[in-house]
Amino acid sequence: MASVILENIVTEFEIYGMRPSLRVALLNRAIGGLLRGSGGRGRGVVVRALDNVSLQINHGDQLGIVGHNGAGKSTLLRVLAGIYEPLAGRIMVEGRVSPLFNTWPGIEHDDTGYENAVTCGLFLGMSRAEIARKMPMIESFAELGNYMALPVKTYSAGMLVRLGFAVMTATEPEILLLDEGLGAGDARFAAQARKRVEHLIEKSSIMVLASHSDDLILQMCNRAIMLEHGRIVADGDPKEIIERYRESTAKAAEQPGVEEAANGEDGVGVAATTPSAAVPA
Amino acid sequence: MPAMTPQYRIAAADIASGLSAWDMWGRLGWRENKRRYRRTVIGPFWSTLSLAVFVVVLGVVWSRLWQQDPKDYMPYLTSGMVVWLLLSVTISESCIAFINLETLIKQVRVSYTLLACAVVWRNVIVFFHNILIFLLVAIYAGVAVNAATLLVVPGLLLFCINAVWVVLLLGIACVRYRDIQQLVTTLLQVAMFVTPVFWRPTQLGGDLQFVVQFNPLYHFIEIVRAPLLGRVAMAETWYVVAGMAVGGWTVVFFLFGRFRGRIPYWL
Repeated sequence: MASVILENIVTEFEIYGMRPSLRVALLNRAIGGLLRGSGGRGRGVVVRALDNVSLQINHGDQLGIVGHNGAGKSTLLRVLAGIYEPLAGRIMVEGRVSPLFNTWPGIEHDDTGYENAVTCGLFLGMSRAEIARKMPMIESFAELGNYMALPVKTYSAGMLVRLGFAVMTATEPEILLLDEGLGAGDARFAAQARKRVEHLIEKSSIMVLASHSDDLILQMCNRAIMLEHGRIVADGDPKEIIERYRESTAKAAEQPGVEEAANGEDGVGVAATTPSAAVPA
Repeated sequence: MPAMTPQYRIAAADIASGLSAWDMWGRLGWRENKRRYRRTVIGPFWSTLSLAVFVVVLGVVWSRLWQQDPKDYMPYLTSGMVVWLLLSVTISESCIAFINLETLIKQVRVSYTLLACAVVWRNVIVFFHNILIFLLVAIYAGVAVNAATLLVVPGLLLFCINAVWVVLLLGIACVRYRDIQQLVTTLLQVAMFVTPVFWRPTQLGGDLQFVVQFNPLYHFIEIVRAPLLGRVAMAETWYVVAGMAVGGWTVVFFLFGRFRGRIPYWL
């Protein structure tokens, strides 16, 4: 039984590029303790991408994540994938996780399709034997024919997506994480991909999908959450959540200035503060 | 030693799984080399060829300059350069080891130790290409081959064990502080001349011996070079290199335990 439990997850990105890096750190080291101790200025800009997120995902959940740009959707997926370790909070994941984000891990444009399929499969936790066993399946799904033996830099964007998709779905994950990106490729492939994902969802017990497409969420999910400024503001039936999301989008459109200010390109709640802790305890 | 908090357990698992995944880092290092020399006719032997030009020209001129017997000086210079290349290129590549893999690291959970091993392995492969030049020079100069020669195996192994923690340490430090890469480049240039690669420690005179003895790079070079030249490296060299391995890995383990989780955020 696959399950995911998140308890009070906090993630923060410290933005370093704003000042000369090493010099400032050394200066802080020299005088810093005092400054910080006396409540002086913080060390820089901190973006809180997820703010106290608690979530339980159960066996059979097909969870859609909706939210505006920078609401924390991708960050949440990356926390679930074990890529970002939260600054605070606890995370318990049971089951084999496979992330299917916009590009695929370990891709090298000078390597052939076969070589990339192996590298990518290894990064996703498959053994060489497993990859060899599944190669015919990967070949047939990618439909690349002789192109499999050519460097992937000769591929079209659609071909690249097909191969990546074929390898990643071959891992047969128990927990499938999807981040948009299923759009590329022609219509026939899109239909195939959807079928493949549906088949995967049947087999994998949990799916989490972050998307801007209402249709995709409505078709593929049986539960949805809405993120706003790194917080879960709604959790429930996909239909209700989508409606709420549309309302908030409409509201945002009425007063675009406010929304722009609150939603920076990279994240939410930009504020000059001291990082609450450098390291998760 | 603090109790194994989850962070330290994750760090230990990263190291253990990374080191043992030889299949994976072997592939990554090998393919990286293939890619670099793709569509060249002689491949990694370009590195060998450029080294050959370097040691022949330098060897002829400098053996005259310093009034040394070329049959004595050439093998010393060549073996020194082969190991120096392994050492310096590994160090300079360690600075971009993780920065260059930002996409991968943000795409999938991966062992950093594995990525570090791939960097070291790639350079060891180049080392084995370069060693060809030394073999030619050794045949020309009639370098002794004896029991001490076999020490090149443990010497190189100990070298690599150190190299992996160095790549991890510098790799992580450079992700956080981007200045370090420039600093390391600068220091490496100077280090090449103050480390006995072209010259012998004895040429330095007694009062400046500390420049050699307290230079860890000298011991790292010596532990591989001495057996190549058919001698046994001094005991203190073995102690220094083994001690660096223990000390380095201890530091890296604690650093790793504390900051491993922050690396994707820093990238």
